[in-house]
Amino acid sequence: MKKVISIFLSLLMLTMIFTGCGKKIDNDSNDTGGDNSNVNATDAPDATDAPDATDVPADTAEPTPDISKAVTLKWYLEGSNVTDDSEVLAKANEYLKEKLNVTLEPIWGTWGDFDANSVLAINGGDDVDIYFTCSWTANEYNAFARNGAWVRLDDPENNMIEKYAPDLWALLPDVLTQGAMIEGSSGYGVYAVPGYKDIAQQNCWDINVPLLTKYGYTVDDIKNTDYYGFGEILQKVKEGEGEDFFPLLVEGAVLERMVNNSIIVTGDSAACNILSYYINPVDTAAEGAYGNKILNKFETPEYKKFVEKTREYYLAGFIDPGMGSANQANDLRSAKQLSGEYLIGTQSYALGYEKQASKERGFEVAMVPCTPAFVDTTSSQGAMMAVSTASKNPDRAMMFLNLLNTDPYLMTLLDYGVEGVHYNIVNGEAVFTDTRANYIPWTNGMGNITLLPPQEGQGADFWDGFKAYYGSAKEIPILGWAFNFKSVENEMGALTNVAAEYALSLSVGTIDPTEKLPEFLQRLKDNGIDKVVEEANNQLKAFLDAKGE
Amino acid sequence: MDKNKVMSMNRRIGRRLNSISLPSEILINIVLALFCLMCIIPFIFVIIISFTSSESIRQIGFSFTPVQWSMDAYNFILKLGDQLWRSYYNSILITVIGTVISVLITILYAYALFRKDFKLRGFFMFFCFFTMLFGGGLAPTYYVCKLMLGLSDNYAALVVPMLLNPFNVIIMRTFFQTSVPTELIEASAIDGGGEYYTFFKIIVPISKPGIATIALLNSIAYWNEWFIPLLYVRDAKFFPLQYLLYRMQSQADFLAKNASMIGPEASKMIANLPEHSLRMALVVLVVLPIACAYPFFQRYIISGLTIGSVKG
Repeated sequence: MKKVISIFLSLLMLTMIFTGCGKKIDNDSNDTGGDNSNVNATDAPDATDAPDATDVPADTAEPTPDISKAVTLKWYLEGSNVTDDSEVLAKANEYLKEKLNVTLEPIWGTWGDFDANSVLAINGGDDVDIYFTCSWTANEYNAFARNGAWVRLDDPENNMIEKYAPDLWALLPDVLTQGAMIEGSSGYGVYAVPGYKDIAQQNCWDINVPLLTKYGYTVDDIKNTDYYGFGEILQKVKEGEGEDFFPLLVEGAVLERMVNNSIIVTGDSAACNILSYYINPVDTAAEGAYGNKILNKFETPEYKKFVEKTREYYLAGFIDPGMGSANQANDLRSAKQLSGEYLIGTQSYALGYEKQASKERGFEVAMVPCTPAFVDTTSSQGAMMAVSTASKNPDRAMMFLNLLNTDPYLMTLLDYGVEGVHYNIVNGEAVFTDTRANYIPWTNGMGNITLLPPQEGQGADFWDGFKAYYGSAKEIPILGWAFNFKSVENEMGALTNVAAEYALSLSVGTIDPTEKLPEFLQRLKDNGIDKVVEEANNQLKAFLDAKGE
Repeated sequence: MDKNKVMSMNRRIGRRLNSISLPSEILINIVLALFCLMCIIPFIFVIIISFTSSESIRQIGFSFTPVQWSMDAYNFILKLGDQLWRSYYNSILITVIGTVISVLITILYAYALFRKDFKLRGFFMFFCFFTMLFGGGLAPTYYVCKLMLGLSDNYAALVVPMLLNPFNVIIMRTFFQTSVPTELIEASAIDGGGEYYTFFKIIVPISKPGIATIALLNSIAYWNEWFIPLLYVRDAKFFPLQYLLYRMQSQADFLAKNASMIGPEASKMIANLPEHSLRMALVVLVVLPIACAYPFFQRYIISGLTIGSVKG
């Protein structure tokens, strides 16, 4: 009995602590955001360095900034798998000491702990100087910029970009610098340095070429048709390979976006997207069929047509029923991709992926794109480095970010490790050694990866192709806009739950749309989807007006 | 005569005099057996899954009768090597040290609250009880622990935040009130025993059952804690076992959820992640030691309950 009571009471306490805390944090950060709209870095508990920061603008004429004081920079990264960084840091710090008088202390966050831990570190006022941030982690770029967690880098009163990083800004593609411009605590500006990585979105059909050829088709046959025309090919392969073979290997959410040319609306509920923006599948820079409007994803005629077709494919046995289970779908998909048990799959593409996939899976893989590559808010804010307002040395942090993103030696050292220890250069390509297993940071999460030597198998001229591919990617008309669902938070919570119940099952065809789709729509209506859509459209309109000015 | 007959009948079928009727005994046994099964089956299931091959999980999902058995998960864990043993060591270390210190603090606090001649009793009772209902919230707690007390990346960070649980203090105080007569303390005082002597030589020995109860609660709490390491520890050197497990799980969840954001790199990372069987194998490794500790404490807890009821 005591135990029962103790469990009950501890649960009660926990819930109280968490709920209490959620509100508290928001209020705190809002307050500070409002207070220092014009002064940076005074938020930090010890404000002794503030004079430093205000001194500097007066000295703008001076070409070399003052770096006589040695400082330590704490740098919080995401997605790392690092167990031994001593060798790399010894070299990096020796180099940084000489260049910037800086000692670097990276915090190697992993996929498992970054979300919870970085948010706490920010709200708890940890002395971390630079945080990884982006559009899809818990310390989301837009939300935390509004709360005053990031230093505005192009603040008119202390424009750190102009002072410390003009060459970096010249080097980044326009879509990136534009995508980083958002409305934050100190006005409309840049709050983080975007990483130059695979910044474009492109969804592709992932084709198992040997299997396709076996049944007398070519990749061109796929190119010449679309999702609604796959039926015949799938049917033939299904008949040939038997009952247990499921030719269509799909991720429900991605499939829907590929077929309907809808994109993720940044700031939408991360658990299950319910809003949609339709892009123009031919010219992504132009407006789509619905114009610059945000729509309820599930209400459109496109969606209805899509789920009906998918249901047809599902009933014909083209789609594995396991794909309808959110817990299993990913494992199942990875396994089937590796063993080649599919004909057509869905894949969000990055340049060179077909080569990488062919090598991993041991058979030829082809990628057939659905739209040209395009850049949206989510992808342009896909990996960024923000300077924390709790940092005591924001200037030095910015200098470091500039050096990191412009200096190939430093970038390669921190990303690949020490040459001769973690990797060797063979024919212009980096070949990793076994020691690299102790030091694997997330390459794309670090910054300007075009400074790195190409990896084995990519080809020595990889970056030329990379820059051509991503440089030519066009921005969508609403680039930079992110939905702020603060005012409709309750509705979003309820809607996410409803969507989680139906969306995946509908998108892979495991439930019957004639019966379930109307039911789903009704429940969305009951939970206030119209209010959310209206709010999103109001925000979008305000953003576009501000951008046009 | 009649009585003798009943007794001899009972003796014949081997039943004692105070036993309940046969049908109700069967019924009670069935109910209790079902309850036991409900408790133990999930654990057996976990053990079975940990020995299931990943191929079998892919084909038929989790099952009591997998199509193929394998030791892969345990082999993988053994290859994990240093980190695993390090985490084991950390978990055991913080559990032992944490339990000893927190029990000491708890009983000392509870004893003071129990003594009627302690003037500030009311205040300290409220002081303790209040924190049970109202916490400072996560961010302030984090700030105080990490930045003011320096509890970050050291063993103290794993032990100190959980040292005193107000609920245990109240359990212990109630235990003292029901099982320690005030006369005993007076007697000890008359015989010339000081406060410390009275407490450690007289009160503690007769309070063993209560102490064992909170020791068990504390050791389980320390062993199972993953949230505090999540908050205060970033160096893998200090990771306890539960946190290692939590990280593996949340890593898999995160990658699955954000696969389309991270891009094609993600599918490669997901493929490298430990399989379900491995996670279950880790669960087995986490649960076993604490399950072994339980019978040891249980002896005291049962006797504690008996003593309580006899004394009324």
